[in-house]
Amino acid sequence: MAFKIKTAGLALLAASAVAVSAHADENLFGYVQGSETLPKGALEAYGWATVRSDKGAGKYRATDYELELEYGVSDRFTASGALLLMSLDTSGLVIDGYLPGARDFAVKPTGLEVKGKYNFLSPAKDDIGLSVQASGEYLWIDPHSGQDKDTLSASVNVIVQKYFLEGQMIWAGNAGMEATYADRGEIANLPIGFDWPTDPEMEIELKAATALTYRFAPNWFVGGEALYETEFETEVGQERWSVFAGPTVHYGGPRWWATLSWMKQLRGGGERYAGQTDNDLHLIEKTKQEVRLKIGYNF
Amino acid sequence: MTARNLLGLMLIAPAALAVAAPASAKDYLTIAQAQQVLFPGATFAPTAVTLTPDQIKRIRKQSGVRQREDKPRIWRAMKGGNLGWFIIDEVVGKHEFITYAAALSPSGRVIGIEILSYRETHGGEIREAAWRAKFRGKTLADPFKLDRDVPNISGATLSCRNVLDGVKRLLVMQQVALPAL
Repeated sequence: MAFKIKTAGLALLAASAVAVSAHADENLFGYVQGSETLPKGALEAYGWATVRSDKGAGKYRATDYELELEYGVSDRFTASGALLLMSLDTSGLVIDGYLPGARDFAVKPTGLEVKGKYNFLSPAKDDIGLSVQASGEYLWIDPHSGQDKDTLSASVNVIVQKYFLEGQMIWAGNAGMEATYADRGEIANLPIGFDWPTDPEMEIELKAATALTYRFAPNWFVGGEALYETEFETEVGQERWSVFAGPTVHYGGPRWWATLSWMKQLRGGGERYAGQTDNDLHLIEKTKQEVRLKIGYNF
Repeated sequence: MTARNLLGLMLIAPAALAVAAPASAKDYLTIAQAQQVLFPGATFAPTAVTLTPDQIKRIRKQSGVRQREDKPRIWRAMKGGNLGWFIIDEVVGKHEFITYAAALSPSGRVIGIEILSYRETHGGEIREAAWRAKFRGKTLADPFKLDRDVPNISGATLSCRNVLDGVKRLLVMQQVALPAL
Protein backbone atom coordinates (compact mmCIF):
# COMPACT_ATOMS: atom_id res chain seq x y z
CA MET A 1 0.00 0.00 0.00
CA ALA A 2 2.84 2.35 0.88
CA PHE A 3 4.34 1.84 -2.57
CA LYS A 4 1.04 2.62 -4.29
CA ILE A 5 0.52 5.82 -2.33
CA LYS A 6 4.06 6.96 -3.03
CA THR A 7 3.59 6.23 -6.73
CA ALA A 8 0.30 8.13 -6.87
CA GLY A 9 1.80 11.11 -5.11
CA LEU A 10 4.80 11.24 -7.38
CA ALA A 11 2.52 10.97 -10.42
CA LEU A 12 0.55 13.98 -9.17
CA LEU A 13 3.74 15.97 -8.68
CA ALA A 14 4.92 15.04 -12.16
CA ALA A 15 1.57 16.02 -13.67
CA SER A 16 1.73 19.36 -11.88
CA ALA A 17 5.26 19.95 -13.06
CA VAL A 18 4.36 19.81 -16.74
CA ALA A 19 1.38 22.13 -16.44
CA VAL A 20 1.95 25.46 -18.15
CA SER A 21 1.37 28.82 -16.58
CA ALA A 22 3.06 32.05 -15.64
CA HIS A 23 1.60 33.21 -12.35
CA ALA A 24 2.07 32.74 -8.63
CA ASP A 25 0.32 33.13 -5.35
CA GLU A 26 2.05 33.94 -2.12
CA ASN A 27 1.95 33.08 1.55
CA LEU A 28 1.97 36.17 3.74
CA PHE A 29 2.48 34.02 6.83
CA GLY A 30 4.62 31.07 7.77
CA TYR A 31 1.89 29.02 9.46
CA VAL A 32 -1.48 30.68 8.91
CA GLN A 33 -3.12 30.15 5.52
CA GLY A 34 -4.72 32.90 3.47
CA SER A 35 -8.03 32.40 1.69
CA GLU A 36 -6.99 33.43 -1.81
CA THR A 37 -6.58 30.90 -4.59
CA LEU A 38 -4.55 30.99 -7.76
CA PRO A 39 -6.16 32.21 -10.97
CA LYS A 40 -7.12 29.49 -13.43
CA GLY A 41 -4.09 28.05 -15.17
CA ALA A 42 -1.58 29.65 -12.79
CA LEU A 43 1.27 27.58 -11.38
CA GLU A 44 3.55 28.28 -8.49
CA ALA A 45 6.40 26.45 -6.81
CA TYR A 46 7.21 26.64 -3.12
CA GLY A 47 10.15 25.61 -1.06
CA TRP A 48 9.74 25.44 2.70
CA ALA A 49 12.22 24.74 5.46
CA THR A 50 11.17 24.52 9.10
CA VAL A 51 13.73 24.14 11.85
CA ARG A 52 12.33 22.66 15.07
CA SER A 53 14.77 22.86 17.91
CA ASP A 54 15.23 22.50 21.68
CA LYS A 55 13.26 20.07 23.79
CA GLY A 56 14.74 21.39 27.00
CA ALA A 57 17.25 18.55 27.43
CA GLY A 58 19.92 16.93 25.30
CA LYS A 59 20.20 17.98 21.69
CA TYR A 60 17.28 18.05 19.28
CA ARG A 61 17.20 19.72 15.90
CA ALA A 62 14.85 18.58 13.15
CA THR A 63 14.51 20.35 9.84
CA ASP A 64 11.45 19.70 7.71
CA TYR A 65 11.44 20.51 4.01
CA GLU A 66 8.53 20.76 1.66
CA LEU A 67 8.73 21.08 -2.11
CA GLU A 68 5.35 21.98 -3.47
CA LEU A 69 3.68 22.73 -6.77
CA GLU A 70 0.33 24.49 -6.77
CA TYR A 71 -1.98 24.83 -9.75
CA GLY A 72 -5.07 26.95 -10.35
CA VAL A 73 -7.63 24.43 -11.62
CA SER A 74 -10.22 27.20 -11.76
CA ASP A 75 -10.35 30.73 -10.40
CA ARG A 76 -11.82 29.28 -7.21
CA PHE A 77 -10.08 25.92 -6.85
CA THR A 78 -6.38 25.34 -6.35
CA ALA A 79 -4.76 21.90 -6.19
CA SER A 80 -1.26 21.12 -5.02
CA GLY A 81 1.13 18.26 -4.42
CA ALA A 82 4.20 18.23 -2.20
CA LEU A 83 7.20 16.09 -1.47
CA LEU A 84 8.15 16.12 2.22
CA LEU A 85 11.68 15.64 3.49
CA MET A 86 13.51 16.00 6.78
CA SER A 87 16.82 15.82 8.54
CA LEU A 88 17.32 15.09 12.22
CA ASP A 89 20.10 15.41 14.74
CA THR A 90 19.23 14.34 18.27
CA SER A 91 21.30 12.96 21.10
CA GLY A 92 21.38 12.91 24.87
CA LEU A 93 17.61 12.69 25.11
CA VAL A 94 15.39 9.62 25.53
CA ILE A 95 11.62 10.02 25.82
CA ASP A 96 9.77 6.83 26.68
CA GLY A 97 7.33 5.90 23.93
CA TYR A 98 8.46 8.69 21.60
CA LEU A 99 12.21 9.14 21.24
CA PRO A 100 14.21 5.92 21.66
CA GLY A 101 17.65 7.52 21.43
CA ALA A 102 20.23 9.31 19.39
CA ARG A 103 19.56 9.71 15.69
CA ASP A 104 21.45 11.68 13.08
CA PHE A 105 20.60 11.65 9.41
CA ALA A 106 20.83 14.09 6.52
CA VAL A 107 17.92 15.14 4.34
CA LYS A 108 15.77 12.28 3.10
CA PRO A 109 12.21 11.93 1.76
CA THR A 110 9.64 11.26 4.43
CA GLY A 111 6.25 11.67 2.82
CA LEU A 112 3.85 13.06 0.26
CA GLU A 113 0.98 15.47 0.55
CA VAL A 114 -1.89 16.52 -1.71
CA LYS A 115 -4.09 19.54 -1.05
CA GLY A 116 -7.09 21.27 -2.52
CA LYS A 117 -8.42 24.71 -1.61
CA TYR A 118 -11.81 26.05 -2.67
CA ASN A 119 -12.63 29.73 -2.36
CA PHE A 120 -16.24 30.60 -1.47
CA LEU A 121 -15.84 34.34 -0.81
CA SER A 122 -13.12 36.69 -2.03
CA PRO A 123 -11.51 38.93 0.60
CA ALA A 124 -11.17 41.72 -1.95
CA LYS A 125 -14.66 41.47 -3.42
CA ASP A 126 -16.76 40.36 -0.47
CA ASP A 127 -16.82 41.61 3.11
CA ILE A 128 -14.63 38.71 4.19
CA GLY A 129 -12.76 35.96 2.36
CA LEU A 130 -13.69 32.35 3.01
CA SER A 131 -12.01 29.18 1.77
CA VAL A 132 -11.93 25.54 2.77
CA GLN A 133 -8.80 23.50 2.35
CA ALA A 134 -8.68 19.70 2.44
CA SER A 135 -5.51 17.67 2.42
CA GLY A 136 -4.22 14.13 2.59
CA GLU A 137 -0.74 13.17 3.75
CA TYR A 138 1.24 9.98 3.83
CA LEU A 139 4.44 9.76 5.89
CA TRP A 140 6.73 6.78 6.17
CA ILE A 141 9.07 8.41 8.70
CA ASP A 142 8.02 9.68 12.12
CA PRO A 143 8.73 13.44 12.12
CA HIS A 144 9.56 13.41 15.84
CA SER A 145 11.87 10.45 16.26
CA GLY A 146 12.97 9.85 12.67
CA GLN A 147 12.01 6.17 13.07
CA ASP A 148 9.97 4.13 10.60
CA LYS A 149 6.29 4.88 11.01
CA ASP A 150 3.48 4.78 8.44
CA THR A 151 1.09 7.66 8.96
CA LEU A 152 -2.01 8.49 6.96
CA SER A 153 -3.66 11.83 7.69
CA ALA A 154 -6.68 13.66 6.36
CA SER A 155 -7.38 17.23 7.35
CA VAL A 156 -9.78 20.05 6.70
CA ASN A 157 -9.09 23.71 7.36
CA VAL A 158 -11.53 26.62 7.29
CA ILE A 159 -9.78 29.84 6.28
CA VAL A 160 -11.04 33.39 6.67
CA GLN A 161 -9.25 36.53 5.56
CA LYS A 162 -10.04 40.21 5.83
CA TYR A 163 -8.46 43.25 4.20
CA PHE A 164 -8.14 46.48 6.15
CA LEU A 165 -6.89 49.90 4.96
CA GLU A 166 -7.58 48.97 1.31
CA GLY A 167 -5.40 45.88 1.68
CA GLN A 168 -2.44 47.45 3.42
CA MET A 169 -3.26 45.43 6.55
CA ILE A 170 -4.41 41.83 6.30
CA TRP A 171 -5.87 39.51 8.90
CA ALA A 172 -6.33 35.76 8.50
CA GLY A 173 -7.79 33.11 10.77
CA ASN A 174 -7.79 29.32 10.45
CA ALA A 175 -9.67 26.53 12.22
CA GLY A 176 -8.93 22.96 11.32
CA MET A 177 -9.03 19.31 12.21
CA GLU A 178 -6.74 16.44 11.26
CA ALA A 179 -7.44 12.73 11.68
CA THR A 180 -4.43 10.43 11.67
CA TYR A 181 -3.89 6.69 11.47
CA ALA A 182 -0.37 5.69 12.50
CA ASP A 183 1.45 2.38 12.55
CA ARG A 184 4.99 2.19 13.95
CA GLY A 185 7.63 -0.20 12.77
CA GLU A 186 9.56 -2.47 15.12
CA ILE A 187 12.88 -1.21 16.48
CA ALA A 188 15.69 -3.56 17.41
CA ASN A 189 17.83 -3.04 20.52
CA LEU A 190 15.49 -0.71 22.35
CA PRO A 191 16.62 0.46 25.80
CA ILE A 192 15.47 -1.92 28.53
CA GLY A 193 11.93 -1.15 29.60
CA PHE A 194 11.40 1.30 26.74
CA ASP A 195 7.80 1.39 25.56
CA TRP A 196 7.45 1.48 21.77
CA PRO A 197 3.90 0.40 20.87
CA THR A 198 3.56 -1.06 17.39
CA ASP A 199 -0.21 -1.40 17.43
CA PRO A 200 -1.93 1.03 15.08
CA GLU A 201 -3.24 4.20 16.74
CA MET A 202 -5.71 6.91 15.84
CA GLU A 203 -5.23 10.57 16.63
CA ILE A 204 -7.32 13.68 16.12
CA GLU A 205 -5.72 17.09 16.12
CA LEU A 206 -7.56 20.40 16.37
CA LYS A 207 -5.95 23.67 15.31
CA ALA A 208 -6.84 27.33 15.52
CA ALA A 209 -4.62 30.11 14.28
CA THR A 210 -4.69 33.84 13.72
CA ALA A 211 -2.33 36.27 12.05
CA LEU A 212 -2.08 39.94 11.18
CA THR A 213 0.35 41.66 8.85
CA TYR A 214 0.95 45.22 7.72
CA ARG A 215 2.64 46.48 4.57
CA PHE A 216 5.07 49.01 6.01
CA ALA A 217 6.88 49.70 2.72
CA PRO A 218 6.31 48.68 -0.90
CA ASN A 219 6.73 44.89 -1.14
CA TRP A 220 7.41 44.46 2.60
CA PHE A 221 5.04 43.16 5.26
CA VAL A 222 5.67 42.64 8.95
CA GLY A 223 3.29 40.96 11.34
CA GLY A 224 2.68 38.24 13.83
CA GLU A 225 0.91 34.93 14.04
CA ALA A 226 -0.31 32.63 16.78
CA LEU A 227 -1.17 28.94 16.65
CA TYR A 228 -3.04 26.71 19.09
CA GLU A 229 -2.89 22.96 18.57
CA THR A 230 -4.22 20.08 20.61
CA GLU A 231 -4.19 16.36 19.93
CA PHE A 232 -6.37 13.56 21.22
CA GLU A 233 -5.24 9.96 21.06
CA THR A 234 -7.07 6.68 21.56
CA GLU A 235 -5.38 5.62 24.81
CA VAL A 236 -4.49 8.80 26.67
CA GLY A 237 -7.24 11.23 25.70
CA GLN A 238 -5.78 14.72 25.34
CA GLU A 239 -2.18 13.93 24.55
CA ARG A 240 -0.92 17.47 24.13
CA TRP A 241 -1.73 21.09 23.59
CA SER A 242 0.48 24.05 22.78
CA VAL A 243 0.37 27.72 21.92
CA PHE A 244 3.01 29.09 19.61
CA ALA A 245 3.34 32.74 18.62
CA GLY A 246 5.89 34.96 16.98
CA PRO A 247 6.76 37.55 14.36
CA THR A 248 6.75 37.11 10.62
CA VAL A 249 8.29 39.14 7.83
CA HIS A 250 7.32 38.84 4.18
CA TYR A 251 8.71 40.15 0.91
CA GLY A 252 6.55 39.92 -2.20
CA GLY A 253 7.47 40.88 -5.72
CA PRO A 254 6.08 40.11 -9.15
CA ARG A 255 8.36 37.13 -9.72
CA TRP A 256 8.91 35.62 -6.31
CA TRP A 257 8.20 36.01 -2.62
CA ALA A 258 9.72 34.94 0.69
CA THR A 259 8.34 34.62 4.21
CA LEU A 260 10.29 34.08 7.40
CA SER A 261 8.55 33.24 10.67
CA TRP A 262 9.81 32.53 14.14
CA MET A 263 7.41 30.77 16.46
CA LYS A 264 8.12 30.31 20.13
CA GLN A 265 6.12 27.95 22.32
CA LEU A 266 4.49 30.15 24.94
CA ARG A 267 2.46 27.56 26.81
CA GLY A 268 1.81 23.88 26.48
CA GLY A 269 0.54 20.88 28.35
CA GLY A 270 -0.57 17.29 28.22
CA GLU A 271 2.03 14.56 28.46
CA ARG A 272 5.50 15.38 29.76
CA TYR A 273 8.64 13.32 29.61
CA ALA A 274 10.45 12.08 32.71
CA GLY A 275 12.82 14.73 33.93
CA GLN A 276 11.23 17.56 31.95
CA THR A 277 12.00 20.83 33.69
CA ASP A 278 9.89 23.23 31.63
CA ASN A 279 6.53 22.23 33.04
CA ASP A 280 4.53 24.87 31.21
CA LEU A 281 5.44 23.53 27.79
CA HIS A 282 4.73 20.44 25.74
CA LEU A 283 8.12 19.14 24.63
CA ILE A 284 7.48 15.55 23.60
CA GLU A 285 6.12 16.15 20.11
CA LYS A 286 6.86 19.88 20.05
CA THR A 287 9.97 21.94 20.59
CA LYS A 288 10.55 25.26 22.26
CA GLN A 289 10.79 27.09 18.98
CA GLU A 290 10.37 26.77 15.25
CA VAL A 291 11.75 28.88 12.43
CA ARG A 292 10.18 28.61 8.99
CA LEU A 293 11.37 30.04 5.70
CA LYS A 294 9.16 29.81 2.63
CA ILE A 295 10.10 30.88 -0.85
CA GLY A 296 7.73 30.92 -3.78
CA TYR A 297 8.60 31.42 -7.42
CA ASN A 298 6.46 32.42 -10.37
CA PHE A 299 7.39 30.74 -13.60
CA MET B 1 20.21 29.57 18.01
CA THR B 2 19.47 32.52 20.27
CA ALA B 3 16.48 34.82 20.02
CA ARG B 4 18.76 37.64 18.89
CA ASN B 5 20.19 35.50 16.10
CA LEU B 6 16.72 34.52 14.96
CA LEU B 7 15.48 38.10 14.80
CA GLY B 8 18.58 39.09 12.86
CA LEU B 9 18.02 36.26 10.41
CA MET B 10 14.40 37.31 9.94
CA LEU B 11 15.51 40.77 8.89
CA ILE B 12 18.55 39.83 6.88
CA ALA B 13 17.40 36.82 4.86
CA PRO B 14 14.49 38.41 2.97
CA ALA B 15 16.53 41.61 2.51
CA ALA B 16 19.33 39.64 0.90
CA LEU B 17 16.85 37.93 -1.36
CA ALA B 18 15.30 41.28 -2.27
CA VAL B 19 18.67 42.68 -3.27
CA ALA B 20 19.23 39.67 -5.49
CA ALA B 21 15.86 40.10 -7.20
CA PRO B 22 15.60 41.93 -10.50
CA ALA B 23 13.95 45.32 -10.51
CA SER B 24 10.26 44.97 -11.16
CA ALA B 25 8.89 48.50 -11.60
CA LYS B 26 6.83 49.00 -14.71
CA ASP B 27 5.99 52.54 -15.77
CA TYR B 28 3.86 52.61 -18.86
CA LEU B 29 3.03 56.27 -19.40
CA THR B 30 4.39 59.62 -18.30
CA ILE B 31 1.99 62.22 -16.96
CA ALA B 32 2.33 64.25 -20.16
CA GLN B 33 1.55 61.19 -22.29
CA ALA B 34 -1.49 60.32 -20.19
CA GLN B 35 -2.74 63.90 -20.47
CA GLN B 36 -2.64 63.76 -24.27
CA VAL B 37 -4.31 60.34 -24.36
CA LEU B 38 -7.20 61.45 -22.15
CA PHE B 39 -7.56 65.04 -23.44
CA PRO B 40 -6.03 65.04 -26.95
CA GLY B 41 -4.75 68.44 -28.04
CA ALA B 42 -5.59 70.12 -24.74
CA THR B 43 -3.42 72.39 -22.65
CA PHE B 44 -3.13 71.78 -18.93
CA ALA B 45 -3.07 74.23 -16.02
CA PRO B 46 -1.85 72.81 -12.69
CA THR B 47 -4.41 73.49 -10.00
CA ALA B 48 -3.11 73.74 -6.45
CA VAL B 49 -5.57 72.19 -4.05
CA THR B 50 -5.01 71.59 -0.35
CA LEU B 51 -7.74 69.52 1.17
CA THR B 52 -8.90 70.57 4.61
CA PRO B 53 -9.30 67.94 7.35
CA ASP B 54 -13.05 68.39 7.03
CA GLN B 55 -12.92 67.76 3.26
CA ILE B 56 -10.77 64.66 3.76
CA LYS B 57 -13.28 63.41 6.28
CA ARG B 58 -16.19 64.06 3.90
CA ILE B 59 -14.39 62.31 1.05
CA ARG B 60 -13.76 59.31 3.30
CA LYS B 61 -17.37 59.23 4.41
CA GLN B 62 -18.94 59.63 0.96
CA SER B 63 -16.57 57.37 -0.96
CA GLY B 64 -15.94 54.74 1.72
CA VAL B 65 -12.15 54.83 1.30
CA ARG B 66 -9.30 56.92 2.67
CA GLN B 67 -8.08 60.07 0.90
CA ARG B 68 -4.36 59.58 1.56
CA GLU B 69 -3.01 62.84 0.12
CA ASP B 70 -4.07 66.30 1.20
CA LYS B 71 -2.40 67.83 -1.89
CA PRO B 72 -3.75 65.86 -4.85
CA ARG B 73 -2.09 66.36 -8.23
CA ILE B 74 -4.71 68.08 -10.38
CA TRP B 75 -4.70 69.87 -13.74
CA ARG B 76 -7.44 71.78 -15.50
CA ALA B 77 -7.71 70.64 -19.14
CA MET B 78 -8.52 73.37 -21.66
CA LYS B 79 -9.13 73.51 -25.39
CA GLY B 80 -11.05 76.62 -26.22
CA GLY B 81 -13.00 76.19 -22.99
CA ASN B 82 -12.68 73.96 -19.97
CA LEU B 83 -12.73 70.26 -20.88
CA GLY B 84 -12.52 68.90 -17.35
CA TRP B 85 -10.07 67.73 -14.69
CA PHE B 86 -7.01 65.56 -15.07
CA ILE B 87 -5.98 63.91 -11.77
CA ILE B 88 -3.03 61.67 -10.90
CA ASP B 89 -3.81 59.25 -8.09
CA GLU B 90 -2.35 56.22 -6.33
CA VAL B 91 -4.12 53.24 -4.80
CA VAL B 92 -2.85 50.25 -2.85
CA GLY B 93 -1.91 47.24 -4.97
CA LYS B 94 -1.00 43.88 -3.51
CA HIS B 95 2.69 44.79 -3.26
CA GLU B 96 3.11 48.37 -4.46
CA PHE B 97 1.04 51.42 -5.23
CA ILE B 98 -0.75 51.56 -8.56
CA THR B 99 -0.44 54.97 -10.22
CA TYR B 100 -3.22 55.97 -12.58
CA ALA B 101 -4.71 59.07 -14.19
CA ALA B 102 -8.39 59.92 -14.33
CA ALA B 103 -10.11 62.40 -16.62
CA LEU B 104 -13.34 63.85 -15.21
CA SER B 105 -15.83 66.02 -17.04
CA PRO B 106 -17.04 69.31 -15.53
CA SER B 107 -20.36 67.61 -14.76
CA GLY B 108 -18.74 64.82 -12.74
CA ARG B 109 -18.55 62.04 -15.30
CA VAL B 110 -15.54 59.81 -15.95
CA ILE B 111 -14.06 60.52 -19.38
CA GLY B 112 -11.43 57.81 -19.05
CA ILE B 113 -8.59 56.39 -17.01
CA GLU B 114 -5.01 55.42 -17.86
CA ILE B 115 -2.64 53.21 -15.85
CA LEU B 116 0.76 54.85 -15.45
CA SER B 117 2.47 52.26 -13.20
CA TYR B 118 1.47 48.70 -12.38
CA ARG B 119 3.91 46.34 -10.72
CA GLU B 120 1.87 43.37 -9.52
CA THR B 121 2.23 39.66 -10.29
CA HIS B 122 -1.26 39.24 -11.68
CA GLY B 123 -3.72 41.47 -13.41
CA GLY B 124 -1.72 43.24 -16.10
CA GLU B 125 -5.07 43.17 -17.93
CA ILE B 126 -6.14 46.29 -16.05
CA ARG B 127 -4.03 48.20 -18.60
CA GLU B 128 -6.10 46.81 -21.45
CA ALA B 129 -8.38 49.30 -23.17
CA ALA B 130 -11.44 47.03 -22.89
CA TRP B 131 -11.22 46.92 -19.09
CA ARG B 132 -10.52 50.64 -18.70
CA ALA B 133 -13.38 51.46 -21.08
CA LYS B 134 -15.80 50.13 -18.46
CA PHE B 135 -15.11 53.28 -16.42
CA ARG B 136 -16.19 55.64 -19.19
CA GLY B 137 -19.35 57.58 -18.33
CA LYS B 138 -19.42 56.56 -14.66
CA THR B 139 -20.93 59.05 -12.21
CA LEU B 140 -21.56 58.94 -8.49
CA ALA B 141 -25.03 57.63 -9.35
CA ASP B 142 -23.42 54.32 -10.33
CA PRO B 143 -22.94 51.57 -7.72
CA PHE B 144 -19.13 51.25 -8.16
CA LYS B 145 -19.20 47.55 -7.32
CA LEU B 146 -16.78 45.04 -8.78
CA ASP B 147 -18.47 42.67 -11.24
CA ARG B 148 -21.45 45.04 -11.48
CA ASP B 149 -19.92 48.21 -12.94
CA VAL B 150 -16.55 46.80 -13.88
CA PRO B 151 -15.54 43.14 -14.30
CA ASN B 152 -13.07 41.56 -11.92
CA ILE B 153 -9.72 40.26 -13.19
CA SER B 154 -8.82 36.92 -11.62
CA GLY B 155 -5.73 37.12 -9.47
CA ALA B 156 -5.92 40.91 -9.31
CA THR B 157 -9.16 41.41 -7.40
CA LEU B 158 -7.62 43.74 -4.84
CA SER B 159 -6.08 45.92 -7.57
CA CYS B 160 -9.37 46.07 -9.50
CA ARG B 161 -11.35 46.95 -6.39
CA ASN B 162 -8.93 49.64 -5.30
CA VAL B 163 -8.81 51.30 -8.73
CA LEU B 164 -12.62 51.23 -8.84
CA ASP B 165 -12.86 52.67 -5.33
CA GLY B 166 -10.17 55.20 -6.19
CA VAL B 167 -12.07 56.57 -9.19
CA LYS B 168 -15.20 56.90 -7.07
CA ARG B 169 -13.15 58.77 -4.47
CA LEU B 170 -11.91 61.21 -7.14
CA LEU B 171 -15.49 61.90 -8.25
CA VAL B 172 -16.36 62.63 -4.62
CA MET B 173 -13.29 64.84 -4.29
CA GLN B 174 -14.36 66.78 -7.38
CA GLN B 175 -17.74 67.37 -5.80
CA VAL B 176 -16.33 68.26 -2.38
CA ALA B 177 -13.22 70.28 -3.17
CA LEU B 178 -12.95 71.39 -6.80
CA PRO B 179 -14.55 74.56 -8.18
CA ALA B 180 -17.23 74.35 -10.85
CA LEU B 181 -15.87 74.75 -14.39
